[in-house]
Amino acid sequence: MSFQPTIVSFLCNWCSYTGADLAGTSRMKYASNIRIIRVMCSGRIEPTFVLKAFREGADGVLICGCHPGDCHYHEGNYKCLRRFHLLQKYIKQMGMDEDRLQLKWISASEGKQFAELADSFTEEIRNLGPCKVKEVMETLT
Amino acid sequence: MEETRIGLYVCWCGTNIAKMVDVENVAKEMESMPNVVVSKDYKYMCSDPGQDLIIKDIKEHNLNRVVVSACSPRIHELTFRKALENAGLNPYMFEMANIREHDSWVHTDREEATRKAKTLIAGALNRVRWHESLEKRTVDMNPATLIIGGGIAGISAALEIADSGKKVYLIEKSDKLGGHLLNVDLTYPYMYSAQEMIKPKIDRIENNPDIDIFLNTQIEDLTGYVGNFQTKISQDGAEKELKFGSIIVATGLRAFNPDSIKDYDYANFPNVITSVEFEAMLKSGKILTKEGKEPKNISIIHCVGSRNHDYHEYCSRTCCMTALKYSNQIRSALPDSHIYHAYADMRAFGKGCEELYTKTSGKDVIFLMYDQKNDLPKIKKASVKDKCEMLIELNEKLSGESVEVAADMVILMVAMESNDNAKTLGQTVGVSLCGNEFYIEKHPKLDPVATTTDGVYVVGSCQSPKDIPDSVSQARAAAARILAKINYGTVEVEVTTAVVNEELCCGCQTCVCVCPYTAISYDEEKNVSVVNEVLCKGCGTCGSACPTGAIKCRHYTDQQILSQIEGLLSKSLELQEV
Repeated sequence: MSFQPTIVSFLCNWCSYTGADLAGTSRMKYASNIRIIRVMCSGRIEPTFVLKAFREGADGVLICGCHPGDCHYHEGNYKCLRRFHLLQKYIKQMGMDEDRLQLKWISASEGKQFAELADSFTEEIRNLGPCKVKEVMETLT
Repeated sequence: MEETRIGLYVCWCGTNIAKMVDVENVAKEMESMPNVVVSKDYKYMCSDPGQDLIIKDIKEHNLNRVVVSACSPRIHELTFRKALENAGLNPYMFEMANIREHDSWVHTDREEATRKAKTLIAGALNRVRWHESLEKRTVDMNPATLIIGGGIAGISAALEIADSGKKVYLIEKSDKLGGHLLNVDLTYPYMYSAQEMIKPKIDRIENNPDIDIFLNTQIEDLTGYVGNFQTKISQDGAEKELKFGSIIVATGLRAFNPDSIKDYDYANFPNVITSVEFEAMLKSGKILTKEGKEPKNISIIHCVGSRNHDYHEYCSRTCCMTALKYSNQIRSALPDSHIYHAYADMRAFGKGCEELYTKTSGKDVIFLMYDQKNDLPKIKKASVKDKCEMLIELNEKLSGESVEVAADMVILMVAMESNDNAKTLGQTVGVSLCGNEFYIEKHPKLDPVATTTDGVYVVGSCQSPKDIPDSVSQARAAAARILAKINYGTVEVEVTTAVVNEELCCGCQTCVCVCPYTAISYDEEKNVSVVNEVLCKGCGTCGSACPTGAIKCRHYTDQQILSQIEGLLSKSLELQEV
């Protein structure tokens, strides 16, 4: 029996979501654990979204945005990067492994990189084991 | 509040989805989800009967929300929004679940893929519940067009637009118009003179009062949005501001530098020349070696820098035919010469091209095939007894023999590659690069000249290597798109903008600092932030930064996304341990 982690991934519309689409049109295969949510820009990803995903039972959260300099909205990805670093610190303080949250840059042409990332991230979260946040929260309430 | 009534449609996409996802089971099972009134599966939801099915159900079942679970929303979101509109429903009361690109095409276990489809749909159903009607907004279209690049593509587009009496600003970074065609002698397959084609066009451009030409000019920045762009250009150090409604990027290509291919030793053999240099030689009217003699043996090596993982993976498209053109021109100028082609594959697609190949083959030209992936030809110095300057060694693929070919001149058919400033310019105008560093079009098949930035078009070889007819077609297609918009007079702009709830806003101005478009200002009297909806492009960065939750990002609201997360992670749909 191997643990099947649940992963939520936030992708920006212009680069990363298109990159994930390209992985599809190129028929690349990757682990089915990842569930994608589209936002216009990685700058739109609020800390609340990430925390909500963990609260609802995600074992890992993967954020992808345009490469530095390529943001469709000029600099939303830099803002995402700043929030990401803070958020990683925050979830660590909450007692979670900070690697459960990751930020990677995927361009519209990087379908292959997205497929590889989906696999490697799933594997990493599988090794970390289930995230207990939801369970703990339910005991508390 | 009105009762939420959702229609769910699960698409088979022929076998594309149905092969990996049990669509019938999905449609059946999701019918029991809250607020779902009808749930159906259908072969092709995007087809007319598919759309009619939705329209009919909306009316019959009084639906006020629709979820289509099919391909990527990047492909058909607009199609279905239109269908909703036709049924009298606001187009934003719609959500798509991507179960093709993100599911059936990328997974191999049918059970898992089916379960994943259900989670994605559950997310979409949860999200659509919070969707709100949004009203279309239009702005006036500035009828001027900015064209960047004065090669054949830029010139063709400029004339097409200016001939309709609309203003064109044509920007060229060098000191003359014409681009690479200025250095070309004859063109394949019909041997028309390039100069006879381009010169009259340049004359027409220079005499057209609707075209302002800016030579030695680069664009510095770009602001605005479709219909209303503006830029600063710098010409010989002087800055000028231009305003226009559309942009055509036609910046072309550059030739590959063969220095990096050791076996060809381009740097050290004076008579190993590139196709660009040979073209100049043809244009000057004399084919001569560096020593000033007529070459007896001429070899043409194909695919230099193309179709090889060490250089460029792609095919540069024009070199095979250009090489055949050279054979014909050499044969006319030097009837007794020996002409050899070292080639990988002969790619003779396009009108008149196969015919050119057949014609050339009958002119005593020898074709030798080599293995482009693993075994490139080698050029080495010949000895005195060889009676030529160089020898080309290659393993001929069809015969399986190793051959040596005498050469006094070797022409390297160099690849086309993107310009060195492609990335910087792309970032300025909001167009991304593909893996080969050419600009990405909006859709490779259905929208090949538009880009993801509304109002910005890419034409010619900056989008991928192209010959003259393809560049001209693309340029004129973009011109037609722009003229249609100008003719209409107004353009629809993004309605998914941010909006401030003045009751909640505390006036901290965090949003003012983070907005990349200076679309948010501070109303000192009311002590609140105000969004200028014309400038806002809907990125949502302000919404994430707002500490009080006063900013709502339309169509990407907190409530919508949080609900989607809940749906995606609903307990009943969790992955099983295996």
